[in-house]
Amino acid sequence: MATAQKKLKKELTINLGPQHPSTHGVLRLVLDLDGETVVKCTPHVGYLHRGTEKLGENSTYLSAMPLMDRLDYVSSMTNDVAYCLAVERLFGIMAPERAQYIRTIVSEMTRISSHILWLGTHALDIGAMTVFLYSFREREWILDLFEMLCGARLTVSYPRIGGVRNDVSQEFIDSLYKFTAEFPARILEYETLIDQNRIWLQRTKGIGVISAEEAINWGLSGPTLRGSGVTYDIRKHFPYDAYDKVDFDVPVGQHGDVYDRYRCRMEEMRQSIRIIRQCLEKLPRGPVMAPDAPKLTLPAKEKVLADMESMIHHFVLITKGPMTGQSGEVYSAIEAPKGELGIYFVSDGTGKPYRMRLRSPSFVHVSALPRLSEGALVADVIANIGSVDVVLGECDR
Amino acid sequence: MTFNELTKRIFMTEILKGMALTLKTMFTKPVTRQYPEEKREALPGFRGLHALVRKSDSSLRCVGCGLCAAICPSRCISIYTSEGVDHTKVVDRYEVEVLKCLFCGFCVEACPFGAVVLTEHFEYSDYSREALFMTKEKLLNNWDKFMAGKKGEQYFEKYWRPLAEDFGTPENQPVLKNRRAD
Ligand code: SF4
Ligand code: SF4
Repeated sequence: MATAQKKLKKELTINLGPQHPSTHGVLRLVLDLDGETVVKCTPHVGYLHRGTEKLGENSTYLSAMPLMDRLDYVSSMTNDVAYCLAVERLFGIMAPERAQYIRTIVSEMTRISSHILWLGTHALDIGAMTVFLYSFREREWILDLFEMLCGARLTVSYPRIGGVRNDVSQEFIDSLYKFTAEFPARILEYETLIDQNRIWLQRTKGIGVISAEEAINWGLSGPTLRGSGVTYDIRKHFPYDAYDKVDFDVPVGQHGDVYDRYRCRMEEMRQSIRIIRQCLEKLPRGPVMAPDAPKLTLPAKEKVLADMESMIHHFVLITKGPMTGQSGEVYSAIEAPKGELGIYFVSDGTGKPYRMRLRSPSFVHVSALPRLSEGALVADVIANIGSVDVVLGECDR
Repeated sequence: MTFNELTKRIFMTEILKGMALTLKTMFTKPVTRQYPEEKREALPGFRGLHALVRKSDSSLRCVGCGLCAAICPSRCISIYTSEGVDHTKVVDRYEVEVLKCLFCGFCVEACPFGAVVLTEHFEYSDYSREALFMTKEKLLNNWDKFMAGKKGEQYFEKYWRPLAEDFGTPENQPVLKNRRAD
């Protein structure tokens, strides 16, 4: 009798991750289980720590940018945009209008590619295999477009401080336009597969519920916050680039469960298509690099060997970084696919930031996992990890 | 539960619809490429393995100014120079540790002479580290192998050498062809 009672009381501690395929990278959760119910959930992060902030402080503003690609490696374009915007705000320059539109277009493409990757893997975790295969088909298209645009598929390094690296080609515009025409039908396909599927509904409805108030208190952002019914979107509230010139809605959920977060992201993809279309149609003419910021942007190459001033700027900018002499600090945030990606800079006037700090959505979202998972079943932990959409490269930095 | 919902539940309409979709997809052309057998050309301007440009007299175009090494975020380029006859700068060694490279293409942008390029070659995996340690000779070989002739010229003209006027917009650029009247 006594032993039986003892057995009943004992909690089982298991280790989920860091090599578990459904933890989306190297997330490790230590779960204390009572039967199948999670009593305590402790996330352990840091397996992918590369010291990006410190590395950034040791390289110039210019050459630290490729590091940003490696934060949230499935949406590298938005990370670069966040970085470039922060530096631009720090030194008070603006990208020309055409570059702003192009950045908006590529950010939204990234949002779609990030969301379809999320959809595929999240569905795969829950047990729907087909969606994964279909969503990767479309993702490939976007990656091909990126390759056409800048020569790289995943770690793009395409935006630049003061604009973007090169102009878009007609071929790119045409192919992207075709994509915007075809993609809504593809979203419908994904929805045919899982939207009403009873297994999907049972696995997602009423799971991982978090109220609007709590979601705000936990610092959630992006679709994870909007699933709880909070209409907070940096693109709307603090518009950057060309977001104030386009028309789009911010989809919100009601119940704050896994299903509503899924719905939010699906609708967001539709809105992204809308934004891309409007940008493509409004795309203004003009330069794609700020012409009036010689201390921050590389001069045109033909000028470097022909014009003394350009040559000096070129050499100084590359070897020492932007020697603007301006000191100050800035916090600048954008709406990355995962949530609010913020960058805080302190400049002491030299070519390297004195301090760089990254506020990554995934880190905050991981911290909310215990709140979502405690009291739920083990299987729901997997659904929760998927639905807060974490990428550990960004979480551990 | 209405009658409609009940029938949906009993006949599993949503699952059947999904099945119909997958069945339909079975008869479409597969999108998967059988990679090692079936290859796709990298698009122009792809950022792959490095190469050093050879001039028409087959000498090195690089002058050893070191700007590419200065901007490289992962510090994987090392250049060693010495003074040659008539006080010219001679590039003795130019080495790229490809395993450390991020393929950001900053070296290409930094080089004022257009002397270093990223080729479209990306299948260079090997068993030893030495094979991926690019010396000057190997880099020049890469140029001969992947870029020599027309390709190299095009590379600079079309893609990697943004001229000042390239930053302007070509005429009739943003106009969408097949734009619909909606
Ligand atoms: S591509 Fe980037 S990381 Fe690689 S050698 Fe050039 S500058 Fe360095
Ligand atoms: S490749 Fe270009 S930037 Fe690098 S050392 Fe040679 S000339 Fe200078």
